[in-house]
Amino acid sequence: MENDELVQNMLLELRRGVLSIAVLSQLGKEEYGYSLLKALSDLGMEIDQSTLYPLLRRLESQGLLQSNWRIVDEARPRRYYVISPQGRAVLSKLKKEWSAMAATMHKMLS
Amino acid sequence: MNLIDKYITEVGKHLPRRNRADIEAEIRSTLEDMLEERKQSPSDDAAVIELLKEYGAPRKVAESYVGPRYLIGPRMYPLFEMVIRIVAAVLFGVMLLVFGLGLIGANLSGPEFLKTLGNSALSLLNGLIVAFGNIVLVFAILERVLPAKDFEKELEDWDPKELASEPEPDSEAIGGPGEQIVGTFFLILVLIVLNVYPEWLGVGFFDEGKWVIIAPLLSEAFFSYMPWINILIVLQIGFGIYLLRQGAWNMASRIANILLELASIALMVVMLLGPSLVDMTPEKLAGTPLADVADFFSKGANLLPWLVLGVVIIISTIEAAQGVYRLFKSSPRSPYPVIK
Repeated sequence: MENDELVQNMLLELRRGVLSIAVLSQLGKEEYGYSLLKALSDLGMEIDQSTLYPLLRRLESQGLLQSNWRIVDEARPRRYYVISPQGRAVLSKLKKEWSAMAATMHKMLS
Repeated sequence: MNLIDKYITEVGKHLPRRNRADIEAEIRSTLEDMLEERKQSPSDDAAVIELLKEYGAPRKVAESYVGPRYLIGPRMYPLFEMVIRIVAAVLFGVMLLVFGLGLIGANLSGPEFLKTLGNSALSLLNGLIVAFGNIVLVFAILERVLPAKDFEKELEDWDPKELASEPEPDSEAIGGPGEQIVGTFFLILVLIVLNVYPEWLGVGFFDEGKWVIIAPLLSEAFFSYMPWINILIVLQIGFGIYLLRQGAWNMASRIANILLELASIALMVVMLLGPSLVDMTPEKLAGTPLADVADFFSKGANLLPWLVLGVVIIISTIEAAQGVYRLFKSSPRSPYPVIK
């Protein structure tokens, strides 16, 4: 029981570390918050909305995302997010780092 | 106003004004998207309640946007804690002093003693609350005024080479800074009283809040030692401040401490063996309210130097011996456990 809690906490830390890359990777095209949540979930990356929205704001304040409020297809106003040029450059570097890290971890764990 | 409106208002109460409207709009949009996907209506209270329960308590949702907020944050807290400890120790020292002075003029019967003790405790409590409030206020302002970048820069600029100029720590750190400060504070107090207010030391009583002296306690012989007493006290104050700055004993400070203790013991022994240090004869008490007990008082006063200096000599001898023992003790063991 105690170990389960430890594992859960560690997984949480692990996921928190990769969320930024996951979000940046899925915003090559415009998405609003809830549609992004669903897209990530469909790909197997379950994320809580209380984590996603603050993260989107943080990434935007860092200049990695751009956003605007729009009404699309006569729906209600929604805030759409898309990766910025700076975000693309950062994502490209992060991808390389991630690949190297994943390879290292694979070597360690196999 | 429906439940979603009320929920968003509640979340907004915990959000900074600057981007409250924007965050509120986004939460509303998300909640409506979630309802739409579930094919439920905002007017269906049961569905909305279930949705809001899932979304989370308003305070928790707001916290996820603003992060933890501190009155005094992690960067300032260690310094804040140190200042609080020092101030508390000094206030405690002052309280003991006030309590002691209160006892001098007080009738030492049970109720009077308890009253003096109670007043001193209340003064301490009052002082602690006022000091704590002021320190918190100052640190809360510093937390908001001092740029975080300066603090980060200081951490980044830290150079391990600086450790080389630090003193070699031996077996133990000095006592807490509070202990050192209280000790230094009392030495300063003794220095001031002996040099500026020697008339306070004598037999007297409090009359309408003023200390009225009947007969001075100390003799001229005592005051002839004042230059030596002053030198030793000033050296001890300086040494206390040095120790406080260093934070740990080293070879030089241990030797200095032993020398100071030995010098103090030598002076006290010379003072005890010389002419009487008190000048309280029955004749001096004649005509005072203490005339009836003049003999008893005079004998008691003449025993006082032996009692006080005797205790101080014993303590100083023990401390000097401890200093010598620690000086020659083997070097400290590694703080890390041995891996077997």
